[in-house]
Amino acid sequence: MKKIPDKEILLFKSCLVNVEYPGVESSTKYLFDKLGIEYIVSERQSCCTGLGHYADLFDQFSTTALAARNFGIAKEEGHKNIATLCATCYAILKKSCNILNDKDDIREQINKILDGSGCHELNYDADDMDSRENIFHSVEILYNKADEIKDLVKVDLSGLRVASHHACHYCKVHHKDTIGNARDPMVIETLAKACGVETVDWYDRKTTTCGNGFRQRYMNKDLSFSVTAEKLNSLKENDVDILLHMCPNCQMQFDRNQESIGKSVGTEFGIVCLNISQFVALALGADPYKVVGVQTHTVPVDKVLGKIKQTNLCQ
Amino acid sequence: MNNYNFSRYAPKSSIDIGVFLCRCGGNISDTVDIEKLASSIDAKVVKDFENLCSMKCQKNIRDIILEEELDRVVIAACSPITHEKTFRNHIAPLNPYLLEMANIREHCSWVHSDKNKATEKAISLTNAAVERVQYARPLDAIVRKTKKSAAVIGGGISGITAALSLANQGVKVHIIENKPTVGGNMIKIGKVFSPEKLAEECSLCLFNPLINEAVQHKNIDIMTNSEIKSSERKAGNFNLLIERKPGHVNEDKCTACGNCADICPVEVPNEWNENLMTRKAIYKPFPQSVPDIYTIDDNNCIKCGKCEKVCKMNAIDINMEGEIVPLNVGSIIIATGHKGFDLKKRPEYGYGRYDDVITQMELARIMGVNGPTDGKLLRPSNGKIPRRVVMVQCAGSRDEKPEGKRYCSKVCCMVSLKHASFIKHYYPDTEIVICYTDMRTPGMYENYFRHVQSKGIKLVRGRPGDITKKGENIVVRLEDTLRREPMEIETDMVVLSEAMEPSEGTLKVAETLNVGLTEDLFVKEKHSKIKPVATDIEGIYVCGTAQGPKDITESVSQANAAASKVSEMINGGLEIEPTIAVVDGRQCEMCGECVAACKYKAVYIHNERISVDPVACNGCGICVSKCENNAIDVMGQTDAQIFAMIEGMLKDKKEGERRILAFVDYIGYVAADNIGINRISYPESVRIIRVPSINRLMPKHILFAFENGADGIFLGEYPDEVMYSSIQEKVNEFRSALIKNSIDTDRLMYYKVYAPYFRGLANKLAEFDKQVGKALDKLEAVLYKASYKDL
Amino acid sequence: MNTLKIDENSFELAEDIIKDLKASKDLGILKCIQCGMCTSVCPAARHTDYDPREIVKRVLDKDETLILDDILWNCFYCYTCHSVCPVNNSVCEITQILRQKAIDNGKGKPKVAPFSAYGESFLEFGLGSIPSNFFDDLIKDFGKEWLELKINIEDIREDLNLGSMFLPKKDVDDINKILEKTGFKNRLNKLRRCRDEENTR
Ligand code: SF4
Ligand code: SF4
Ligand code: SF4
Ligand code: SF4
Ligand code: SF4
Ligand code: SF4
Repeated sequence: MKKIPDKEILLFKSCLVNVEYPGVESSTKYLFDKLGIEYIVSERQSCCTGLGHYADLFDQFSTTALAARNFGIAKEEGHKNIATLCATCYAILKKSCNILNDKDDIREQINKILDGSGCHELNYDADDMDSRENIFHSVEILYNKADEIKDLVKVDLSGLRVASHHACHYCKVHHKDTIGNARDPMVIETLAKACGVETVDWYDRKTTTCGNGFRQRYMNKDLSFSVTAEKLNSLKENDVDILLHMCPNCQMQFDRNQESIGKSVGTEFGIVCLNISQFVALALGADPYKVVGVQTHTVPVDKVLGKIKQTNLCQ
Repeated sequence: MNNYNFSRYAPKSSIDIGVFLCRCGGNISDTVDIEKLASSIDAKVVKDFENLCSMKCQKNIRDIILEEELDRVVIAACSPITHEKTFRNHIAPLNPYLLEMANIREHCSWVHSDKNKATEKAISLTNAAVERVQYARPLDAIVRKTKKSAAVIGGGISGITAALSLANQGVKVHIIENKPTVGGNMIKIGKVFSPEKLAEECSLCLFNPLINEAVQHKNIDIMTNSEIKSSERKAGNFNLLIERKPGHVNEDKCTACGNCADICPVEVPNEWNENLMTRKAIYKPFPQSVPDIYTIDDNNCIKCGKCEKVCKMNAIDINMEGEIVPLNVGSIIIATGHKGFDLKKRPEYGYGRYDDVITQMELARIMGVNGPTDGKLLRPSNGKIPRRVVMVQCAGSRDEKPEGKRYCSKVCCMVSLKHASFIKHYYPDTEIVICYTDMRTPGMYENYFRHVQSKGIKLVRGRPGDITKKGENIVVRLEDTLRREPMEIETDMVVLSEAMEPSEGTLKVAETLNVGLTEDLFVKEKHSKIKPVATDIEGIYVCGTAQGPKDITESVSQANAAASKVSEMINGGLEIEPTIAVVDGRQCEMCGECVAACKYKAVYIHNERISVDPVACNGCGICVSKCENNAIDVMGQTDAQIFAMIEGMLKDKKEGERRILAFVDYIGYVAADNIGINRISYPESVRIIRVPSINRLMPKHILFAFENGADGIFLGEYPDEVMYSSIQEKVNEFRSALIKNSIDTDRLMYYKVYAPYFRGLANKLAEFDKQVGKALDKLEAVLYKASYKDL
Repeated sequence: MNTLKIDENSFELAEDIIKDLKASKDLGILKCIQCGMCTSVCPAARHTDYDPREIVKRVLDKDETLILDDILWNCFYCYTCHSVCPVNNSVCEITQILRQKAIDNGKGKPKVAPFSAYGESFLEFGLGSIPSNFFDDLIKDFGKEWLELKINIEDIREDLNLGSMFLPKKDVDDINKILEKTGFKNRLNKLRRCRDEENTR
């Protein structure tokens, strides 16, 4: 397995986390602090271009230039290990890093552009970063500490059945760098198990996309929903209480759209959606509203909150 | 430049040399002024002939050698590739290695037209030979005898076949098998296909007689539960240490009554039946096991002692200890076989998740009469006969993704057809669907394919992406690529045609014996076309699936090939060219650099001394260049000979003349000959010197050449897989030596030579000549400027 | 009937794709064995007429009408095909590259134009966001609470102890300069024009 750092980390902010599920960022910070992981966030970091990139609006060159700028910031701030909150950022940054390392002409053009934009100090030299050794998903950083997490669990979550959705842009794009078997990474399950909860390790359509499909959600809603419905149906058949993700885009697809999709296929799914960092934070006793940010969720998180109350009562 | 040690460049003593020049019926003399050449050579005898290779001349040479009491001979004629052997034989009574040839035909008269320049070059080629021959030493061919015994590792069909072949030729064979019984994979597969009879035959019935023959053969000794612990090479033989794990049952006493197994309380999955049923901790793998005794599986036995008590023969000894047995053999055959791909690495196929998703090997066991269902085709989940069986081809094969096998496993198309045919025969109501990308049934196997097709099997072209369960049914999802449509196939049973991969035994043995593996971790053959059963270590051969995926037919023929290679060595003995590495024990400090450097694994440590296996050594000389103590040398390619050659080539260089030394390996030399044969020209500046490999050269040689007036150095070698990386290192080493000594690196060139592409070599030589010219002009300009400043 | 003409190089389109900046190193397009594994796992193939295997086939046949084909716009960019292809081909990358070609040739512009607002917001803040033109539609599916969330987000972030998400002005300016020079602004303007034209129509 690749080497996972626990210091000099730049926690890379995500646009969808910012405004949709800010609890993902606060939960991750909460866990990083508890686990003694040394990190910073930078106000100068720009977005990766994610949705714009995969909606074909951004061209690869512009996306790569912006990535070079962000890499420059990470280097300048002495926190070269990037940990993303979003799978799209993860894939886009890794791809850009590879391009910058492999294609001399592109790198030179981009450096010239940085020079001309007052960002000379952010220039990128070949191999400044290594996409395998410096770019991670924040969930990987947590995975590396699964054993320590086990010792910190406060809330008894047993009795809940959880399943995972490993974001496509985490496990499939750079599949050689995925932890475990890219066809069924058990990263989320490992963390969930550390919290003492029962995991549904396989369900039909486990490896299928969330269905968002970037442009599809907006331009081809029916198509997008029929794919999401396949997954939700299978999860329901498996009596899953909570679906755990690692990407705000997936989370929106499953959480925000769940009711509409349910209506279109004539069922009520009632599947709680949480980012794995939110779930682990809850298990470690984080405040649901002040840390985990459950107030921004569409599907009520009551099932879990009920458990937390119980635990508190018992104590 | 003093960093380099020229100490071996000893002054010459007075030696009488005879130089014989050949006109080659005008082939040489039309372009080279033979009289001028003769008058320019300094030797006791210089004589020219019309056709040196004719019988009459050969006799003449001998007479002159005797008359003039010559010590050494130089023949300036055609290429040594064509006639060196002949001339060596004809300088008797002189030792054949006291001869040197100057190639003034292929490398001179045939490639140049300017008579003056050609003559000049012929003089320097001949001079070089004269210089070099003074350092020639008499050498004797080495004859090696191989011990008349062999170890065959692995007792599957390949190992047994090879062992029988050798034993029948009178060779003592030890079969070393790590399992409690011989038989390997073939014993498990139940049926084999016969493309000739268009039928399935019983594999046990074919194989058992061979096993029995091996058991009874006086020349075969079978060691089960045994593994090689270590191996040491000594004078072409192998000293092996074999670890015999305790089976805890005395072979001579056990009657295989089975009372012990009845009483044993420990039940574990039975690997002989692909874990589809259980066995006890004391067990006999299968009824026909050889040796025919029970054995205790140490990993699972709880040492309760019940079996010991119940055994009427007193055959059991729970505390039996393993032993280490030494074995000395002349050759080794690796026949350690393969295992099936672990399908859990393809989780989307549901293997291990759904009981009715199985492998072909499991299906073979299910249909084996000695298997878990006594040969009946039943679903593992509910014991019912499946209505439909879907086979998924290339499961784990032909897959570049991580953990996948990039190769085609070669047998699985035929295996699926075999099983399909068998099922159709006994269960005509069960439908067979094969999902394939390509059906690979080469040669006569195509007949069998047609035969099975005509029994009514359904073929769907597409590679399934996922297998799931819907209600009672298993569902295989794929694209029917010929209909251009995603498709789901409902079924009762799925059989995955699992890839073949090297067995653990193969990997272990390769490590212990230090033989090379392919990228896919099979034992690497020396050359797939011309040396298919040799490994990179002389005396160790490979056959069967340890070397790569293959079926029984191929395994058997490869096993026979390996056996005949072993007996070739034993019976013929080997006469080896003496131009190999030799170690000077007084200088050697046992640093081991040569052992590490030798790509042919010819250097080894034995009894605290460095030894060279004459059969393995190909005389490349990389060891010489790595030895800091001047303790190893290659006969016929000593430093003194190389320096003399360089000096001779550069002798009497005129003002303004350009001389380029082109060091080439055998292939490069042949390519250069081809240039001559095809009368293509290249600059006269080029002088070709044959070396065993560029690896033999060291910076000191290169620097010596430049110091003595070489204008450029060209290095040409065939980029052989074994050698190529070290050649690159070598060239870089030379470059930095040049830089350190302020010599323009443009004056050095390395080129990959391919024998048929001799035109490329000619062009390269011309290009290099120009490049050197430019570099020299540049140098001149710098020198001129410098001197101008001084003024 | 299709005739393969004697001097025809049918690999031009494939080679073009291999050279594209978006193409992974060693993209296995020429090694495709048409096994259909990509299609068997493709969500778009299950629900539409899109067939990733056929996309590769058409590329290898140099079928340039593919660039004009609406079918291209059904891919989810989920990379499932990419993660299982036995020869390391990636229909996902191929489709991305073909769509860029469609944009370059004009046909694809209206497909992308609706996302222009993403670019506008990026230039304004250096941040991504859901294009505002989709909001009305989204509120129908997400419910009114989502609108409230949009209004209250700053407060919620404060409750969660998260700092401001906005970049300093100097950095936004730098980003604008960069995107000017990479040609993105120019591209965006063209797409905006296309969007506005569609809107007035
Ligand atoms: S060990 Fe003894 S009890 Fe067991 S099979 Fe042999 S003879 Fe019978
Ligand atoms: S001693 Fe071992 S093999 Fe014998 S009965 Fe007990 S467990 Fe079985
Ligand atoms: S033999 Fe057939 S099934 Fe086996 S790997 Fe080759 S093509 Fe695939
Ligand atoms: S000459 Fe070459 S082959 Fe021989 S021992 Fe030395 S390195 Fe090995
Ligand atoms: S792209 Fe890959 S998965 Fe798709 S058909 Fe070609 S080889 Fe098969
Ligand atoms: S990336 Fe596109 S082509 Fe590939 S599986 Fe996903 S939707 Fe299908």
